[in-house]
Amino acid sequence: MAASRGWRLIRHGRCWLSQAEFSGAPGPPDSLYPPIVASATAKSKAAKRRRLEHFHQRVHEAASIEEKLRLYGLLQRPKYMVYPQTFAINADRWYQSFTKTVFVPGLPPRAAPEAARAPEPGAAAPEPAAGAAARAPGAAAPEAAAEAAPDLDLDELRSLACDALLQESFYQNKKRPFLYRDQDHTPGPFLTQLISSLAALLCGRNPLLAASSLDLNPEVNYYWHHGEEVVVHGHRKGRVDPVRFQIDDHPHLQIRVPKQLPEVVPLESDLGDVPVIDHKPSKLPLFKKQYENKVFIGSKVADPCCYGHTQFHLIPDKLKRQRFLEANLEDQIEVAYRANGIASLFAWTAAQAMYQGFWNEADVTRPFVSQAVVTDGKYFALFCYQLNTLALTVETIQNNPRKNICWGTDSEPLYDVVEDGDVKGFNDEILLQLVQFLLNRPKEL
Amino acid sequence: MAARVRRAVYPLFQPGGPQLRLFRPDFFMAAVRPGVPQPADTAQFRVSMEMTKVDIKNYLEKIYNVPVVAVRTRIQHGAHNRRNHKNQRVKKPDYKVAYVQLGQGQTFQFPNLFPEKEQTPEARSFDDFKNKYLEEEAQRQRGDPRRGGVPDWFGL
Repeated sequence: MAASRGWRLIRHGRCWLSQAEFSGAPGPPDSLYPPIVASATAKSKAAKRRRLEHFHQRVHEAASIEEKLRLYGLLQRPKYMVYPQTFAINADRWYQSFTKTVFVPGLPPRAAPEAARAPEPGAAAPEPAAGAAARAPGAAAPEAAAEAAPDLDLDELRSLACDALLQESFYQNKKRPFLYRDQDHTPGPFLTQLISSLAALLCGRNPLLAASSLDLNPEVNYYWHHGEEVVVHGHRKGRVDPVRFQIDDHPHLQIRVPKQLPEVVPLESDLGDVPVIDHKPSKLPLFKKQYENKVFIGSKVADPCCYGHTQFHLIPDKLKRQRFLEANLEDQIEVAYRANGIASLFAWTAAQAMYQGFWNEADVTRPFVSQAVVTDGKYFALFCYQLNTLALTVETIQNNPRKNICWGTDSEPLYDVVEDGDVKGFNDEILLQLVQFLLNRPKEL
Repeated sequence: MAARVRRAVYPLFQPGGPQLRLFRPDFFMAAVRPGVPQPADTAQFRVSMEMTKVDIKNYLEKIYNVPVVAVRTRIQHGAHNRRNHKNQRVKKPDYKVAYVQLGQGQTFQFPNLFPEKEQTPEARSFDDFKNKYLEEEAQRQRGDPRRGGVPDWFGL
């Protein structure tokens, strides 16, 4: 027990040894005496509140974003590790409750004037109209967009995708895949090749892509508090603590851009309900560990490409369709895709917001939008996430009506089968949706 | 599947050999009330120490036709600090706990095994009568309150 006694002598991370730091604002100028406030070091609720406010003030007044992030994640305690790619049953509902996210099936509808301009004919279509129509993702829009954007050559795109697929799965002579590493054998390289060539092709149409940065196997981390629990055992038994979460995600590919994507719906919109789960997160099951509280978008704060555009995730071998089908868990296939989309995109958008200086006491003033594609090489599911609020702690969530919103589709196959150097049953709609995702850009460009 | 059957020795499985099948397993599984609240689709069992997650899944699916989606197990260490009348330490036995998630949207709530009995009017009046009689008996035994608890065979 010497370790626990030692902890009480040195308060980790909060070594306030002088009252001078707590001097705070002076009283009204006509008063001779300093303001009467609660003690800063007493063992009382008022003192704890005052220490908390002092900590909030320190974070608000931090000189730089790096200093702010350092103070935000200073205190280390055991926290739940949230894995976006999980085999847990009904994980998407749990993740929605942890991140206060509303899930809306289908992709977000784009603005009406752009859809109305879609049926304009032909080669004489002016560049802004074609650009505006091409910017409209959505299941209803692909045919309209295909007609109205004739300079989006569907054949060229299809041949590009088929070339990449055939190169990886047919022409190249590869050895057998390593055990349980099927996704590194064919789908991984195919996805990398497809996206990098598509992005290069569409650079001319989308100046944002020309200024973007494509990361290969980046790291995305986010740390947050949500809800409260009582510490069960240990030297801190009986105290009420916030529930801490950490996401450490490794998307396969990521596109970061210097300008933010436009908002999809206004900041205060309410598109549904967040599922409420009364049980502790450990019943999911989710496990606790204590390590560095990291907030990272894939590049450091000084990088000019500090906003996110699109992430691409590869489903690991443990979560492939065949395993779910063998275990009679067909409904959990979509759950795995959704959980991946929601968790990864929440972590990315929230980390982007923290890079701009927002945190749970200083909530976002504009929504942060990012997109993601989750695939296992053949089936593609597209997601779009709008972060409206970072305030998820017990005190800040009380008067906060805002909710984060995630739009997502079910997984659809891109092709049916590859045999004898030929791709059979190629699905143009999925490719078109991917292209529209890549062409998404702010209205000014 | 290791069994606690007394003298049976099962052949070690080797690739190409026959699948081991047990038709009358010697194991128990006891459904217990969870100590901490569990989600609606989770049932908690105390199982034999030699059972594995696969064994538990097969046991429930084949014998009881219960659709099982996931099983998580842990071993609970029995406390070893009780003392008997000879001051020897007595250990409570270890046991394995299994948390079984049910499939097809099924839920399980451990039933209340000791519900409050509804009291019929006769029983209620009998209870009142009994309580009153016991009160009067206790009052008789108590003695004079003015003596402050001192027994009456003491003194005058």
